[in-house]
Amino acid sequence: MSRNSVTNNIKFSRILIYIVLIIFAVYYLLPLYVMLVNSLKPLEEIRGGGMLYLPSVWTLDPWRAAWSSAQIGVDPSGLRPYFWNSIAMVVPAVLLSTVLGSLNGYVLTKWQFRGHGVVFGLLLLSCFIPFQIVLIPMAKLLGVFGLAGTTSGLVLVHLVYGVGFTTLFFRNYYAAFPTEIIKAAQIDGAGFFRIFWRVLLPSSGPIIVVSVIWQFTNIWNDFLFGASFADFDSTPITVALNNLVNSSTGVKEYNVHFAGAILAALPTLVVYIVSGRYFVRGLMAGAVKG
Amino acid sequence: MAKVTITDLYKNYGSVEVLKGINLHIEDGGFLVLVGPSGCGKSTLLNTIAGLEEITSGDIEIGKNSVAGLHPSKRNIAMVFQSYALYPNMTVSQNIGFGMEMKGIDKNEREISINKVAETLQISELLNRKPGQLSGGQRQRVAMGRAIVREPEVFLFDEPLSNLDAKLRIDMRTEIKRLHQRLGSTIIYVTHDQVEAMTLATKIAVLKDGCIQQFATPYEIYNNPSNMFVANFMGAPAMNLIEGIVVKKKKDIEFEMKNNKGDIISLPIDGVKGLENYIDKPVIFGIRPESINDLELSGKKSNKKMVEKEVEIDVVEPAGSDTYAIVEFGGKQVVTRLNGNSVVAAGEKVKLTFNLSQAVFFDIDTEERIR
Repeated sequence: MSRNSVTNNIKFSRILIYIVLIIFAVYYLLPLYVMLVNSLKPLEEIRGGGMLYLPSVWTLDPWRAAWSSAQIGVDPSGLRPYFWNSIAMVVPAVLLSTVLGSLNGYVLTKWQFRGHGVVFGLLLLSCFIPFQIVLIPMAKLLGVFGLAGTTSGLVLVHLVYGVGFTTLFFRNYYAAFPTEIIKAAQIDGAGFFRIFWRVLLPSSGPIIVVSVIWQFTNIWNDFLFGASFADFDSTPITVALNNLVNSSTGVKEYNVHFAGAILAALPTLVVYIVSGRYFVRGLMAGAVKG
Repeated sequence: MAKVTITDLYKNYGSVEVLKGINLHIEDGGFLVLVGPSGCGKSTLLNTIAGLEEITSGDIEIGKNSVAGLHPSKRNIAMVFQSYALYPNMTVSQNIGFGMEMKGIDKNEREISINKVAETLQISELLNRKPGQLSGGQRQRVAMGRAIVREPEVFLFDEPLSNLDAKLRIDMRTEIKRLHQRLGSTIIYVTHDQVEAMTLATKIAVLKDGCIQQFATPYEIYNNPSNMFVANFMGAPAMNLIEGIVVKKKKDIEFEMKNNKGDIISLPIDGVKGLENYIDKPVIFGIRPESINDLELSGKKSNKKMVEKEVEIDVVEPAGSDTYAIVEFGGKQVVTRLNGNSVVAAGEKVKLTFNLSQAVFFDIDTEERIR
């Protein structure tokens, strides 16, 4: 009797937990649902109200328009060129900042020099500098380097900003990596880069995933630097999306805007889905083993 | 194979002196054990020999050549680490072959050496596994394999057994000794376990606070400790150290101490060198547990060095082969080693034999041996 009521209680609380979780899941997924549903409707249907209804006429035209023919600024080019601009900026910026971060982490933990703590502290500080503060000095610097308005310039900006974070990730991960293994490799005759390449990097899978996801999401979603430093031929997709939605001529094509927004968000979504499960594991790996 | 000579070695970290003038010499094929409590500098000393840490001053010679300033890989040494330090991303065979790979030895030749070593250590069937799939004892073997395959002049072991469980540790200890006998190589071995030190070494160096307390054979260290630290550190259970006064009665010199009730107990200590200078002064009397036992005195009664005293047993700790009894003696808790078959109980009063031929005395201020 009493045991029955205990198990019933557990069952009841289980059901309650699931109900609450489902409500939250629906709540958070609702915006995505609205965007998806309305991006598949003709414009008249949206104007007629009923944002939450499924389309009565299904169409992919808004997607095609957003991708290749929508008016962005003065060009009817769609988001396509800007998408590739973003890719051309994100990929090198992510790779370079990850490589530099891991090298920094390696040196700061396994080849410590006098003042390594200060250097790490300063790198850490760079994580907290607000973007707005550096806009003008950065513009000046890009001008001096002749990189103003280029994709390379944007890569440099994001690299500089990203190295603080990636260094933090890798330093903490490598701090838990046994130093005796590095010593063993030294005795075996491996040099600085050989140890890094053959011993340390192959064991860094989880933290590389963390660094790549973090950097990819941040750089892909960046708006301020893109809006400030990019030219017509290097504008990233976030800025283009803004231009698409804000174009003041003609009617507001909400269905195209929705489709464009999803297109702009898609790559980060893909990165998460592909490597997300390593993300949590990677964050834990550095934390648990002291 | 080579001898190792260390002369006036100093090592500082900033203003902290970690090693303060170490002088050691180990002959070709010797087994030197560095032993001492945590933080005594023994691992630092080993690291400086390996070249993993720079020395502040002094010199280290391996064979006939000074290796000061030489890169670890050029010193002809191999090291086995406490954590085994296997490369986690490589298989056992890659782990063992990594050093040869770095030297640029070709693949076939590497295979031959790896297989030979694997056979010696009975790990042939593990060659394709990753370290994560091995047990502690297997990892230990692989770590030793990685050292042996280098065919070094000197092996360095940094507490290699301390991560193993008790049973395995004893097995591996025997195995290391067998390895030493077979390879005839010079070994320098760091441990904080004095039993390991006694069983393995041809020479032991006892360290404390960056100084060598005594550097001698295991027999010397055990029977003739040069100061109270060594006497206390080596041996399990530790040597009993009791405070008392040296007195001269007629011709004989005696050692007097007070028991808990305030009664004076005395032991005859004729013939101990140096004690004449300590008449009426306090000294520390040291005696090993096995020198206080319940053996029959028959036939040895005439021996002046064997003395019988009655003591009260406080605690009995049977250990199978022996029975350790803790008794009150001279105001101290004294450990005695009785026959394993002895039937004694706490609270009982028994007569025990003190073998004073092995007794040692220390100056109470300097803690140095009186001899």
